[in-house]
Amino acid sequence: MSEEAVPEGGSPVRPAHLEIARLWLAARGLTDVPPPLLAARLTARRRARLAASVLLAVFLCAAALVYVSALPIRPADDELGTQRRWALVVLTVLVAGVVLGLSLLDRWVRRVDQQAGAELPRRATHSVRPGWRTVLGVPRAALLAITYAAAAVLALVALTVRDGAAKYAAVILLIGLCGVGAGTAVQLRHVFTHPVVADDEDSLKADFLMRVEDAREVALPTVVWSLPIVSVFDTGLDPWNTGWLVFMILSIIALLLITAWEGRRALAAQHASSAR
Amino acid sequence: MIVIDSASPVPPFEQLRAQLARQIQDRTLAVGTRLPTIRRLAADLGLAVNTVGRAYRELEEAGLIETRGHAGSFVSAAGEEGRERARRAAVEYATVVASIGLDTNEALRIVQAALTKGIAASPSPSP
Repeated sequence: MSEEAVPEGGSPVRPAHLEIARLWLAARGLTDVPPPLLAARLTARRRARLAASVLLAVFLCAAALVYVSALPIRPADDELGTQRRWALVVLTVLVAGVVLGLSLLDRWVRRVDQQAGAELPRRATHSVRPGWRTVLGVPRAALLAITYAAAAVLALVALTVRDGAAKYAAVILLIGLCGVGAGTAVQLRHVFTHPVVADDEDSLKADFLMRVEDAREVALPTVVWSLPIVSVFDTGLDPWNTGWLVFMILSIIALLLITAWEGRRALAAQHASSAR
Repeated sequence: MIVIDSASPVPPFEQLRAQLARQIQDRTLAVGTRLPTIRRLAADLGLAVNTVGRAYRELEEAGLIETRGHAGSFVSAAGEEGRERARRAAVEYATVVASIGLDTNEALRIVQAALTKGIAASPSPSP
């Protein structure tokens, strides 16, 4: 494939990546930012998101296999047998692998950012760094925290009041939640702390928008909604599983409302700035 | 926004100090605003931690910011006092100019020269 050199001695960038960067900037009304500054960063993010999605999908499949491998379980069987203990050890190793994998992917994105920043003759940043409230937003942060907390409570209660297969499913769910929660925390920390890559006001705005998109992508609790399907729902639609379904549907509705509210607010801000 | 220009002859710590001082003086950074941590700002600007630390130290010595232990650095109210001092000095100067019957344009040229001399002694920030 043909390559196009970046001005000011930067790394070569593919024309297709430059076009994607141009479209990204145009969609956000940032016409004064040179696309080469963003092309490599956007490409790294796209690849990292794809890899993270594959990693999480593999993890969900593996968690399902771990659960199935220790079946059948008698309803009265409260003790964890050797086979199930080993299955949980394997799951814990998988969880550690997922956290490590997500962390490494984020490190790679940050390294690409640092390389892009090192090529700038000027460096710009905010006088006051936007905090998590500005980047992620209180509603999304609250939704994320409530989703994890509610899922953990449901799993913990299942662990204490249920027995047999349901108890084992709750253990698997808890281990999965802890792993995915740790992975999300690591990714969000990277988003909030990675250095700014900008050389003027417009590129600073582009960097901020990229940070907002990264944070919102990471804060989607899709895996929390997917994990119960792996093990919890194998027993049919009893009241307990109905509770899970209600929790998932309510949190998805909350996400849709937050997204619609943010969209309306962004539109109002756009109108206000163009009216000035 | 803070911009550090590596091609500028002005040292990076002075570029940073001057820009922060200007933003505090013109109230872009209000009294009580918490500034980024030294490490965070150094990472954002690609500077050494000591460079940012020196800029913060000089701002603190000038009374423009104050460090409250682990809570971080904050814009201090001294910036407002400095503005008031400058206003009082200007009134005194205007009184002297009026008492000796100096022409307004000449009085302004004297102030301009004094300010230019002051800026020359302390390098200006890059645009």
